[in-house]
Amino acid sequence: MGYQRKHRFEAHVAPWQHVWIEGLLVFIFAILMFVTPASAAMRFQERSLYMKSTLPDVVTSYTISFRYMSPTPIGSVEMLFCIDPIPYHDCEVPQGLDVSQAVLSDQLGEIGFSIMSKTTNRVVLSRIPGVVTNPSSSYTLKGIKNPSKTDQSFSVRLKSHSSADASGPEVDFGSVKGQISEGIVIETQVPPMLIFCVAERVDDNCVSTNENFYANMGQLDSETTLVAQSQMAVGTNATGGFVITANGVSMSAGTTVIDTPSVPTQSNPGSNQFGINLVENTSPAVGTNPQGDWANAVPSPNYSIPNHYMYIPGDVIAYSPNVSLMKKFTVSYIVNASAGLKAGVYGTTITYIASGRF
Amino acid sequence: MKRLKRIALSAFAAVLTFAIMLPSNSVFAQSSASLSIVPRKNYVIEAGKSINDTLTIRNLDAERSLELTLRVVDFTFKDDSGTPLLMLDEDAPQTTWSLKPYIDVPKSVTIGPKASQTLNMSVAIPEGHGAGALYSAIVYSSGAPEGGNVGLSASGVTLAFVNVPGKVDEKLTLEKFGAYHTAQSGRDAGYVFFATDEPQTIGYTLKNEGNVTEAPVGSITIKSIFGKEYVINNINPNSSLALIGQTRTFTPCIKLKSEEVDFNGARAEATTCTSPGLWPGIYTATLTMFYGQNGNNTNEVNSTAIFWYFPWWSILLLIAITGVIIWAIYKITRRFRRSSYQMKSRQSLRRK
Repeated sequence: MGYQRKHRFEAHVAPWQHVWIEGLLVFIFAILMFVTPASAAMRFQERSLYMKSTLPDVVTSYTISFRYMSPTPIGSVEMLFCIDPIPYHDCEVPQGLDVSQAVLSDQLGEIGFSIMSKTTNRVVLSRIPGVVTNPSSSYTLKGIKNPSKTDQSFSVRLKSHSSADASGPEVDFGSVKGQISEGIVIETQVPPMLIFCVAERVDDNCVSTNENFYANMGQLDSETTLVAQSQMAVGTNATGGFVITANGVSMSAGTTVIDTPSVPTQSNPGSNQFGINLVENTSPAVGTNPQGDWANAVPSPNYSIPNHYMYIPGDVIAYSPNVSLMKKFTVSYIVNASAGLKAGVYGTTITYIASGRF
Repeated sequence: MKRLKRIALSAFAAVLTFAIMLPSNSVFAQSSASLSIVPRKNYVIEAGKSINDTLTIRNLDAERSLELTLRVVDFTFKDDSGTPLLMLDEDAPQTTWSLKPYIDVPKSVTIGPKASQTLNMSVAIPEGHGAGALYSAIVYSSGAPEGGNVGLSASGVTLAFVNVPGKVDEKLTLEKFGAYHTAQSGRDAGYVFFATDEPQTIGYTLKNEGNVTEAPVGSITIKSIFGKEYVINNINPNSSLALIGQTRTFTPCIKLKSEEVDFNGARAEATTCTSPGLWPGIYTATLTMFYGQNGNNTNEVNSTAIFWYFPWWSILLLIAITGVIIWAIYKITRRFRRSSYQMKSRQSLRRK
């Protein structure tokens, strides 16, 4: 009886299985259809911006070039100066920029334009509407005051219209990108700086250290793990952040070099092993977790696993992707020796290199 | 002769006494290892022209002098992030983008405790040099200690970039685009199509095949299936660079938390990624990106990517809801079948 009921159910449900799969596929395709954005129709091609001077706050000339794409008659070209190049986003005026004194000093290709209106960040070129016969064109505007900020690019949003006053539907559109470069002397801005110190013990702000730049680890034997620790503090106001790499060969005596794990590995007394990490460990008990509230600066993942050590010369051991207040890292060192390790005085110098990021 | 011996012995004793009185480790003679430097320099220099600039170095140590040796080395990229790979070997081959032949910095400097020093430097680009990007690194090294098993040494680096204006060869190819998880302890960084942890960043990977460094700009719009929009207005807020030949991954935050902080007496804006508050579902990300040097074409790159975000609680909820629906369908089907069977039975009985 039970078997018959099950059989009836399966016979009833079986055709539905395919319907569900088909339905699911239709649903996924529908999602893909709906989420795919519509592509733009006509963009100006070969767009470029040449700024005669790229220094901040300097009055200079801009040459804006592009190729008209639509065969529609053109009566005006709007140039809108914004930080964001996306035409449908709100326009934030680049700090310091002023195009209200701009003068159209030269034009090539499609000509006959004059400045119809101008504001701080908008210029409209106008002419009697006419068919485009020389699509590759350029327009030079003199008397433009450059933006002030060197750490932010800006854009000129371009639109052409059939009307002579930049009204009505746009014909072609597109943006060009500009960037202000640093002057050599910047007196109004705080220059970026990278602060870095290393010693056995350091203050959070690098103002003092215990002035010890080495560690004696003791006598190597095959049953004990020797440990040591040092500290470094680092911080930067550079938007690119920093990286710290550890450089130098493993502990060595003459030609004998102690092996270093290339992946995070637990301490293994009785084997030849030299490794470091930047967190608090219990096996063996050594090290401290990074100190400092700022979350941006972190140890590299491979060097932040408690009780796991490794060392690859040149590896990034700590970094920050952007501005970071001072943070203190404690580096733990472990060294193990096998019974067969050649006798000698083993030592190394680890050079910690702090650099900006690009 | 005896007198000579006495003098020699006295001198030896004096030297020995002095040597014993000295600290037992020569490490105490070492320089400070606390420094402040400028991490990056950017210049635009036309071929045939030069610039004079300064490098300011501060010794933060209140007691020791800072003795630094300076040298210029080439660098390239270490991976797809912004980490420089310094070519520190003395015999490292010169790169095609090397600034070394054109930059002049002092060889060494000694800075007193708690003092700063401004060093003159210059960059001269020869006449006829082609347009493009040149870059190298200035390495400031403190001395290495003597004694102990583990000696410590600190170095700082300034990355120096020069753009020689003119017609350059620019080509950025978009290789990947989508939701991105940054590296954490126990989790590698990478793109994610199906995420159970909330994505806080969107990644895009560009290969730079030109002869100039590139800093793309643009925006990313993220849309949920229900139409809610999240806009990343600046896809490169730190003006990060894709170096020549580098495949660089940029990872802008979906939601950025900015904070004004006091850094060494100066105000700075610090940013971190924060939870954008995504709901479980399917998301579409649309990238609109621009790049191009001054006087060169502005190039535009557009792309779309899809990612799924379903945290574990939502997966469990979905399984539970699906189970309930299946159970309900089964029950309804069973009831329908039973009533239909009963109806047919009644009809056949009536016929009989």
